[in-house]
Order: sequence, then C-alpha cells, then structure tokens
Amino acid sequence: MNDKLITFANVSRFYGEVLGVNKVNLSVPPGITSLVGPNGSGKTTLMNLMCGLIRPTQGELSVLGTSPDHPEQLCRILGYCAQFDAFPKGLTGFQFVYSFLRLYGYSHAECEALTTTALQRVNMFGAANRPVASYSKGMRQRVKLAQAIAHDPQVLVLDEPLNGLDPMARAETIALFQEWGGKGRHVIVSSHILHEVDRISDQVILLSHGYVVAEGEIQGVRSEVKEQPMQIEVRCDRPHELASRLFQQDHVVEAKVSRDGRGLLLRTTDADNFYLLLNRVILDAGFEVESVAPADDDVNSVYQYLIGSEGATV
Amino acid sequence: MAVYKKTYRPYEGRLTPGWRRLLVLPRYSFEDLHRSRFLTIFFIASFLYPLVCALLIYLQHNASALRVFNAQAAQQLISINVTFFLNMLGWQSMLALFMAAFVGPGLISPDLANNALSLYLARPFSRVEYVFGKMSVLAILLSLMTWVPGLLLFLLQGYLEGWTWVSANSRLASGIFIASWVWIVVLALLALALSAWVKWKPAAGALMFGVFFVAAAFGATIDAVQRTKWGHLLEISDLVGQVWVYLFEGSNATTNGAVFFRVTQGEELPLWCCWGALLVLCGVCLYMLRRKIRGAEVVR
Repeated sequence: MNDKLITFANVSRFYGEVLGVNKVNLSVPPGITSLVGPNGSGKTTLMNLMCGLIRPTQGELSVLGTSPDHPEQLCRILGYCAQFDAFPKGLTGFQFVYSFLRLYGYSHAECEALTTTALQRVNMFGAANRPVASYSKGMRQRVKLAQAIAHDPQVLVLDEPLNGLDPMARAETIALFQEWGGKGRHVIVSSHILHEVDRISDQVILLSHGYVVAEGEIQGVRSEVKEQPMQIEVRCDRPHELASRLFQQDHVVEAKVSRDGRGLLLRTTDADNFYLLLNRVILDAGFEVESVAPADDDVNSVYQYLIGSEGATV
Repeated sequence: MAVYKKTYRPYEGRLTPGWRRLLVLPRYSFEDLHRSRFLTIFFIASFLYPLVCALLIYLQHNASALRVFNAQAAQQLISINVTFFLNMLGWQSMLALFMAAFVGPGLISPDLANNALSLYLARPFSRVEYVFGKMSVLAILLSLMTWVPGLLLFLLQGYLEGWTWVSANSRLASGIFIASWVWIVVLALLALALSAWVKWKPAAGALMFGVFFVAAAFGATIDAVQRTKWGHLLEISDLVGQVWVYLFEGSNATTNGAVFFRVTQGEELPLWCCWGALLVLCGVCLYMLRRKIRGAEVVR
C-alpha cells in the first residue's frame, strides 16, 4: 500500500440492486482533486468510501496506506465536510467544532485552541458563540469547513463545499484549499461549478452513472478525447487569410472567424500536426499573432464531451 | 521524503480515554434538557417519593419525633421491608418510563433528520460508541431516579438499623441495583430504537407508551380469549415485575411485585421465559438501531 496516495482497487459499491460506483480503479496523488459528475454519478459514494462511512461491496481501498478497516487511524488523518447541513441541535458554532474535536480524544485546552484556530481560518470567529441555527447558508458552510480542518488532517474530503458561499467567502475558501493542496496534502472536492473546478484543481475525476469516465490533469484528459476535434483559438491580424490557408489541411475540420474580426476558432483532429502547420504558415505569410490558445481543454468542455450536459452548472 | 511528511505534523499529545469521549454526547443533551422547564420540574418532582420514604425511615427509628406529632402508633404501621423498597422502586420506575418517553425520542431522531450521523462516524467514534453515548443520557437520568435513591434509602435504613440488618437484607441492595438496571436498559434501548425509526418526536413518545399499554392490553385480550397466561409475554411491565420479585426475594416470593409491575397471582410465567422475552425485546431494539445508525443512510 502506498502511503502517499488514496488508492481504489476495483472498488464497487451497490445499494441492494442500485449501483453506487462500479469497478473503480484510482490512485489519487496529493493536491486538489475534483470529483465531477451529474447528480447520482457516485461522487458522494466515492467520498463516503474514502471516509469509511460505507464499505465497498467488493475491492479494496486505502487512504495514505490506511485501510477503512482501521477507522481509529483513518479518521485521524481525514477531515470530512458533508454535503448536507449536518448540525446536531442547539449547538453554537464554537461548541459544534469543539465537541467534534473532543471525539478525537484531545484535551479540553487543546480542543479550545484548535477550535479557535479553525474558526479564525474560515473567518467565523466573530460569530462563534451564536447558535448554528441562526447562521446563514454561507456561514454554515464555513463552520462545517472549520470542523473538517480543525484537527489538521492530511486528507480533506469536501462534498460540495462551495455551495451557498458568497464571492468573497468563495475566494477565501478556494485560497484555503490551494494553501492546503500546496502543502502536499490531499484535498478532495466535489462540485458542480465547473469553471471553479477548472481553476482550482490539480486533477479531476469525472464520474458518470457510477463509473469513472476519466481521471488525471484536465489537459491530459482532453488530449485523450480523440473523437472530439480540439478547438484552438488564434488571434491575429488577418484571420480570414489564415483560415483559408489552414483549412486546406485534412485534419482542420472547422474554422470560424470571431465577430470582432481578430480571432479565429479552429477545430482539428490532430493537434500536434496542427501546431507544426500553424508555425510554418505564420512564418511563411508573416501574420502578426496575438495569441494561440486551446479553447476547450477545460473541465467544462471535457465534461460536455464525456458526460453530456446533464447536471452541469457553468 | 514525501512533501506532506515535511509539512504535516500530526497531533502527538495525550489522548483522553475512549469512555470520556462518549460524554461529549450527554453533555449537550443535558444542556438541552435543562432548557426545558417542564422536564426540569418533572425531574426534581421525581425525588418527592424517595424523600417521603426517607422521612418514613427516619420516623420509624425516632420515637421522640413521633411523640411530637402524637402518633406513636404510626411506628407499628411503618415497616421497612421488601415491599417498602419494591414499592419505592416501582413508583420511581414508572416515573422513569415517563421521563424516557419525554427525553428518548429527541436523542437520535434530530441527528438522523439533520444527516448528522456522518459527522460523528467520520471520526474515531464507532456506531456502538454513538449508541452508548446516547444511551448514557437516559442511563444517567434514570439511574438518578431509580437505584441511586433506592440505595441511599437502603444505606439510611442500614445506618439506623445497624449492621445486622444490612447483612440480613443484602439481597435488597443487589435487587434494587440489578432490577433498576434491567428496567433502565429496556427503557433506554426501546426509547433509542423508536427515536431512530420515528423521526417525529411526539409520535415516538406516544409509541413508547403504546408499546407498554397497548401491548399489555393486547396480551390481556389473548389471555382472556384463549384462556391462557402466555399473553403476559406481551406485557413488559409484567415480565419486569416477575424478574424484580426474583431479584428481590429469590425463589421464595412473598410479594407479587409493585405498583405498575404487579404480577397477577397464579398467572406467573416461568422465570426463564420472562428473562428470554426481555432479551428478545432488547435484541429487537438493537437490531432496529443497527439498521438505522449508519454513516450514510442507504436509500433503496
């Protein structure tokens, strides 16, 4: 077992006759990993499996070398933030974080110090002594995040943590994930907000109907989707002329000039040859090129290609 | 060396023992109960009967006090014996049933309704510990209402009567303690199981009474129609009553239980049947809890 990876080896989980996830083989490295997929695709099941909340029907998994069969060790290295508003009745924000820390067996003083630190990190210390019931949706999300990070875990599993956060809180939360991931820890995030997933993720896992459709860095995943021509946007001084020259090649299947007359969107089935050709054409004809950039190697495009439009929020 | 090993410093301080972690659950439950004025008053009022009992024990040993009230004859009427302690425990246990019906339904159902179980179980805290933690709320409350005052009264009587009385009646002390725990375990498991399955608190509370009273009526109907005594298997109070009589007096019973737990003369079931029925009831409750207390509820 690898003590740096979260590994799933042929893991399946069925709920009676209903499929949760099927034959999942994954090795999740440190950094921010996003789970992306429509509702019911198996994201929460995968997270629950990681946290030991449910056991696989078949297959094996380990979190940094620790099996869910050893919950005492597993839960100490793992912080979990549930998708739902999961708050025992009547607690204040401080009591909420503090009481769950006590379950780890830390002393009173240690728990108080860790609670204070965690609430300060999510910018909730000012409202710590108010009942959770009086919090707004965004505050609840942040206090949930505080209880997940309070014991300083190596692996942070967050089920839709950005839901309900205002732009400021969202930016702060993303910065926290990036800091956490930058330290070489695992941050596993599920989200429907694809442009944010795109911005924060080191790697993505795309799920559909309980199966892992793709995994890895998004550019790598995109390049593997051969059946969808790659979109490349070129901004230059004479896009019409460039389009006519490039369109002579078989692998360029579509060329579209943008409304401002400065951009050209091209679709090609052979990106490597396209770039070689583009270099040659630009040098031969003396185009003034502002930029050349892939237009569809983001999570949203990959999602559309591999899964379709169901469930996506862009 | 891996990056995370350079940056990650796990907690290396001392950990509290496992049983102390359980106390996180009752701590906030008691705070919650304390906010209810009705429950606070009810809990305090439940000590009136033991206080009256303590007064009776005192008066029985204090002739001068009785003389003040001109009631010397009362000394002969007060007898501190097995019936005295059984009645005290019977009355207190009936109040304990009410307390369990008020408090029990609110223990697990809010966690299930709020999907909070995953919060507990994603920590080094097992399902068994969760159930024990929730059970401890009722166990502490009901202990304070049953065997704690019972044993205090026994000690008071022993103190006033002398060591000979204590050694001669030691079975009373063990009876009070074990009989109370039989009742506490049955009540707590039943309350938790109903709380886990019935999310609406008033309905769960009503069902708690239903299990005792409706099942008892059903059992009595079976007895009457079938001319049998086996319908008593459905009467939890009857089963507990028979177990209590044995725990207090052994095989040579002189009483037939206490208030609410009285056994119908001549219709006693074999003792092993009573124990067996109570064990089955506890087993059913544990099974119900096992089905519901899960980190992620499985919806088929």
